[in-house]
Amino acid sequence: MLNIVGQTSISPVVVTNQGILSNPIFIAVTLIIMIPVGLFLGIIYTFLLRKLTARFQWRVGPVVTMYKDLAPLLGRSRIWQPLYDILKLFGKDNMSPSTSRKAIFLASPYLAFLCAFVAIFFIPLPGLQLLSNVSESLVITVYLLILSVMFTILGAASSGSPWSAIGARREVELFLIYEIGLVVSLFSVALIASSITGTETLTIWGIVNSTNLPMLILDPFAAILLFLVMLGKLAIKPFDIAEAEAEIVAGPYTEYSGRSLGLFQLAKVFLLYDLVTLFLAVFIAPLFSLPTGNALWFIAAIPLYVVLAVVMVFLLTVVQVLHPRYKISKGISDYGAMIAVVAILTIAMVVVLNYMGVITVVIG
Amino acid sequence: MPSRIDTLREVLAHYSSPLTLNYPSNVVADRKYSQIPEGLRGLIERDKEKCIGCRACANVCSGKATSYYDDLEKATRTISVFHFRCTFCQHCQIECPTEAITLTKKFELATGSRDDPANYELTTLDLLRCKTCGKPFFPQKYVDKAKELLMQKIDARVANTVSADFDKVKEYCPDCRRLLSLQYDTHTKKHIWLEGP
Amino acid sequence: MVTGIDPSILDWLKKEVVPEGLAFKPLRENRVYIRVKPEDVDKLAERFVKKMGVRFIHSSGVDLGQYGVDVFYVYDFAELKPKLVVVLEARLDKDNLTIPSVGKVTWQAAWPEREVHEFLGVDFKGIPDARHQFLPFEWPNTPETGAPADQSVVTETPNPTPTAAGWHPVGISPKNALASLIPIGPYHPGVIEGQTVYVRLEGEQVVDADIKTGYHHRGIQRLIEKRGYNRGVYAAERVCGICSAHHGLTFVTCAENLYDAEVPERALYIRTLLAELNRIHSHVLWVGVAADIVGWKTGFMLTWGLRERVMDIIEAITGNRVNYGIWRLGGVSRDVPQELASKARPIVAKLKEDLLRLLPPVAANPVFKSRLVGVGPLDKATAFETGAVGPVARASNWKIDTRLTNPPHAIYDQKQISWEVVLNDGCDIYGRVLVRVGELFQSIGIVDQCLDYLSKKTGDIREVPRTIEPGSEAVGLNEAPRGEQFYYMRAGGGELPAYMVPEGKTNVQGSNTLVACRIRTPSYRNNAVLPYMLIGAALADVPIIMGSIDQCLACTDRVEVVNDKDESSYTITWDDLVKMSQKKCRS
Repeated sequence: MLNIVGQTSISPVVVTNQGILSNPIFIAVTLIIMIPVGLFLGIIYTFLLRKLTARFQWRVGPVVTMYKDLAPLLGRSRIWQPLYDILKLFGKDNMSPSTSRKAIFLASPYLAFLCAFVAIFFIPLPGLQLLSNVSESLVITVYLLILSVMFTILGAASSGSPWSAIGARREVELFLIYEIGLVVSLFSVALIASSITGTETLTIWGIVNSTNLPMLILDPFAAILLFLVMLGKLAIKPFDIAEAEAEIVAGPYTEYSGRSLGLFQLAKVFLLYDLVTLFLAVFIAPLFSLPTGNALWFIAAIPLYVVLAVVMVFLLTVVQVLHPRYKISKGISDYGAMIAVVAILTIAMVVVLNYMGVITVVIG
Repeated sequence: MPSRIDTLREVLAHYSSPLTLNYPSNVVADRKYSQIPEGLRGLIERDKEKCIGCRACANVCSGKATSYYDDLEKATRTISVFHFRCTFCQHCQIECPTEAITLTKKFELATGSRDDPANYELTTLDLLRCKTCGKPFFPQKYVDKAKELLMQKIDARVANTVSADFDKVKEYCPDCRRLLSLQYDTHTKKHIWLEGP
Repeated sequence: MVTGIDPSILDWLKKEVVPEGLAFKPLRENRVYIRVKPEDVDKLAERFVKKMGVRFIHSSGVDLGQYGVDVFYVYDFAELKPKLVVVLEARLDKDNLTIPSVGKVTWQAAWPEREVHEFLGVDFKGIPDARHQFLPFEWPNTPETGAPADQSVVTETPNPTPTAAGWHPVGISPKNALASLIPIGPYHPGVIEGQTVYVRLEGEQVVDADIKTGYHHRGIQRLIEKRGYNRGVYAAERVCGICSAHHGLTFVTCAENLYDAEVPERALYIRTLLAELNRIHSHVLWVGVAADIVGWKTGFMLTWGLRERVMDIIEAITGNRVNYGIWRLGGVSRDVPQELASKARPIVAKLKEDLLRLLPPVAANPVFKSRLVGVGPLDKATAFETGAVGPVARASNWKIDTRLTNPPHAIYDQKQISWEVVLNDGCDIYGRVLVRVGELFQSIGIVDQCLDYLSKKTGDIREVPRTIEPGSEAVGLNEAPRGEQFYYMRAGGGELPAYMVPEGKTNVQGSNTLVACRIRTPSYRNNAVLPYMLIGAALADVPIIMGSIDQCLACTDRVEVVNDKDESSYTITWDDLVKMSQKKCRS
């Protein structure tokens, strides 16, 4: 049994009773508000990804405000364009191939969407703790993110088409690599947080409130590792090997259409929101925790969070625009090498921090 | 790595000035990166005053878009251009003897259905009726143009005679002209080259 | 430019090369037509290809009604004697349509013989591959013609790592496709035009491959025959959208070889200008498409953004971006005014600068290189044996370029315009990328020199054609962006049957149309090499290998269904087809 006890020169944020913000009824209300807010933030980040990609390619991309002569026909604002695409898919025929196992084939999109959707409740926004104070919420979030991908693979494997089979196989090979990276990155941050606060912190709210120095500075390698994992999970080139259209039609999503495909796209929208907010919550923690009694910080923190999220999406776009797609054999070896190296550096950083006396890890 | 940085520099070069334009607002009025050139081969337009109904365009059309139809009861010739089949090759523009056809700069040619009248361009000319048998044969303008071209190439010494001969036969259809030339002389019996008219 | 044949070459041919020839007729531009007996064809092929190292260009057949079928074979002797192309012809009677196959001697003739066998019913004895090329594999075939009765039979490849000579085609049935073979096509996002490539996979590696084309047959050869020379130029231009200028150029080259053409010099410069502009746009397009297949959409967008400037120049000169419409027998139809030529020069210079800034980082991108280096190998010996042409062959360090050996009627003489042939010894896809990018910059140099001439001098642009002798033949070759293009024409008219000839008259009648027009595009040859390159590659490499030979295919015909139980047949109309597909989707 690993008992982590320690003290440090970094002081934890003192979490006092925050009054109304810890009230269960307030939390329930924020959860209900979170459903549309999470959706809209996810849509805005997806729109930004497409818009920035277009601008990098010398194109205009989806428009924020429609041109004046076409506005009467098409509507004034197009920033919800990704949502309209998903709603359009919901209106189309949902066909399943005759060689597929229908029950699993039709149920997998719902389950994949559900996992990505439920994860938004466990990740805090600035000042709003939502469900992130539930015990072991970090573990729950990691499981939900893993399950979302697994249901995609399951759905692909049950469809009976050779393209989906190849896509599912590639997704499994990549998945084994980046999930290890996800676990190493988040749990080494949890290790640091636990050693600062002195108790075992496996809740995201606990990590957020554990330090007044961003984790980005304490262990930058963990941040780089989580960024690399995001490239794989969100299918950003050069690692979108599973969904290669030029080679295997659409990979795991080949046989899906209509509502099922719409649910998969919606799951991807929520996944983008989840990962971006998780990254910011864990690594730019002081932004999210509330200094005692300072309600004004709450008003300034939300726009700052959105700005930082836009910066993250910008970085993702830059990586996407500069690389073609890897072949699976070379992709696994390069990706695996990168993740392995950065993971080792992450753990080494924790050891170095321990050695330098910044934190003390006692295994008892 | 350096190649990726160079590519990034190229990518950011046009970040704020994209190459794509909003259609239709910016295209015709304000094309920043390309103009509609003067020699664009677009929609065919025919000047109905100049057309003489010679059917040369129908003869040389590459895509069989131009065709003609003679209505013998109403004595009209209709030359129709079906824009769907036009290949914009300019053969008709080059071959037309009166330069009645131009290829304009219009390129937005889509219509709602195949039977839309905007897809066809019809030019109707009246045909002359033969004085003896009453059959319609050539349009009036065609006959006038034929005389004009003939007079351009005729030696001045015989111009008057040829002109008079032409006027005698121009109102008869080709079949009746053959009968006419058997019935009576259209020429004087002198050798006009050596002896004068 | 239009010369007769050198008598010493004719002697050399008569005595040493083809002593079995029955008749020798010189064609224009140093080419010869030799009539031989049908039995000698494979012996001559052995002598030419194996002993003398001559390249085979094409073979086809002309159906002459009651006179029989003329099967001709064209060989390229340009390495041995300048500009010499030999056309061997053999006439077969309608009741005895057999001839030994040249395909068993060299793989280069395999696909043309397949086509003649399918369309004209000629029986080639010993043909290596007698399956349908254009019709579906399930179309019934009688056993006497040598093909298996049901071609949709899975045949196992005896030797999984075949050499070019021992490669066997894999016949598949669509039912078995999903079980063990993956059909890439006819609809596939990575394949640009309609074809089906069947691959048998183990894991992600390709063990066996086969290609089926024929989805795009439009009957353009027949259209050109019926429309004549002037209207046929427009049909020839529309064979391909990307290299339409080169089809036009080869057509007028071939037609001008039917009579004594003297094309004015300014027209030749305009032709060269447009052909090279077409090559620039085609190669930039190809770099973008290769980037797209590998997954790099940004590379695609950036290169196509620069290509727009080339299209604007072309539009200003000819009036249209794709189908230029200026090719005429005896010259061109539109002049390039001097101001336009001088205005275009700085635009071309700026384009060259921008391409030099963009293309080298694109080609040096490490992930891009890792996808292309070592993929799709084709060494020089195999390239010669299977008959690769164009940049595919030049990337295997084999110097063939039709502009040097058999130039079309345009200015390609290296003494008048300076340009170089670009070679590379990579033998893989990366080598082909470098060859095409190099050729692109050479073409920019040629364009600049042409614009320089056009902006400074004036002259005629067209000479009116004279008469074409009935029954005459001609060949024309050109270097399209994809490789060597070949046109063969036989003019209409010729001998009438004796009973139709009035007393005291010659039995030759004239005609405005052609008897035969045969087009062989470079992709026809490169597609035959494709299955060989695919074996041993990973599945992820299949689309990029297909893209690296720069395929160019065309559109489908009507569908006819034959019911082999009661031998009835019915034709499906468009409306029936729509209803059938709707019914299938809703089930």
